[in-house]
Amino acid sequence: MVSEKKNSISQPAWGATAASILNGCFGDYLNNRDNGLAIDMAFYQNNRPLELSVDALRAACPTPTDRLCVLVHGLCCHEGVWDFPGDPVRSYGRALQHDLGYTPFALRYNTGLPIPYNGQVLDTLLEQLLAAYPGPVDELILIGHSMGGLVLRAACHYGAGRAAPWVGKVSRAFYLGTPHEGAGLERMAHLVTTILHAVPHPVTAMVGNIANQRSQGIKDMRHGTLLEGVDFTGSVPWLPSARHYLIAGTVTDDPEHLASKLFGDGLVQPPQAGEHVKLFPGVGHMRLAHDEAVYEQIKQWCVSA
Amino acid sequence: MEPRTLRQIRGAKELVEETVDAATLAINEVQRTMTRMPYALLARIGPIAAPVQAIEQAHLKIADSVYFSIRVGNRLVGNMAGFVLDQLDAHAQRKGRS
Repeated sequence: MVSEKKNSISQPAWGATAASILNGCFGDYLNNRDNGLAIDMAFYQNNRPLELSVDALRAACPTPTDRLCVLVHGLCCHEGVWDFPGDPVRSYGRALQHDLGYTPFALRYNTGLPIPYNGQVLDTLLEQLLAAYPGPVDELILIGHSMGGLVLRAACHYGAGRAAPWVGKVSRAFYLGTPHEGAGLERMAHLVTTILHAVPHPVTAMVGNIANQRSQGIKDMRHGTLLEGVDFTGSVPWLPSARHYLIAGTVTDDPEHLASKLFGDGLVQPPQAGEHVKLFPGVGHMRLAHDEAVYEQIKQWCVSA
Repeated sequence: MEPRTLRQIRGAKELVEETVDAATLAINEVQRTMTRMPYALLARIGPIAAPVQAIEQAHLKIADSVYFSIRVGNRLVGNMAGFVLDQLDAHAQRKGRS
């Protein structure tokens, strides 16, 4: 049974991984040049984009439930990030489908494009998904890893602004290692490029120019930009009709360790402690997207009243 | 080969071509700037200023021609790869129709 299941699920190949990394680093350039490697945002199933029509969705979801789960990956990744290592059949989406009846939809998108732009496209895509879904939808939960959490917040903001029908269905949003306050690594990259440009030497200027070619998506991570032209994340309110849960990790088992204090989960600093905040010591940034303990926490929050 | 795969291969080809071209231009520009530094110092010495300028021009011309050759070669290889991809595309379309 398991082997049959494994055969029926096609994982993204190395080509898709390479394309996702390229999109993360230079996605806006690829998009502007209309390059064939640029990824168009879509929900993916078995390494193929899902057509958002009633017939296609009926074929993709033979037993549609009234609860949907949307998973949005982070920078330079694709939907394969949700697969558990060693057991690619298991992912948060498929586990939530099995345990709680959520029909999962995993997004793949060009992570090099500006976060506000991706948020707007996702807003439209979610509307199309709900319109074409072969059955009534009572509940929608959102799970975003790293940059994916910011894209989700941007989508909620734009959706709420135009009173999109899908926004009212969102009950919970989970943010895994999301840099709501900005990412330290990108702040460091910005500082380094500024210094390189300040040094009056052609070689440092060239290296600075190369480093500056990184995508707008990466640059938006510096402040966690959600709106075009607005760097301050706090200016975007959290969707009031949904509950928001923050999950973070640290590089060491001891969250008080200096390395954890400095580097957080390796890329993102943990948020301040709170009611809907859970810290997983020893769980690195990437592992937050496929970890049993994290999944158990998500499941527990999903069943809580 | 699937149209999506072909489109991606064509995209990769274009990206490599554009990267080589941009890198060649950037390195050429840096080399020109750095080459001029010692020549500018030597050109301040009156008696040798004229030959120094002549040697500098020859140096820059040789360097420019090397970078130009790399860019032309890159464009040629890109065009050839594009031609092969066009043939594969046409073959895939014929196969799709039959």
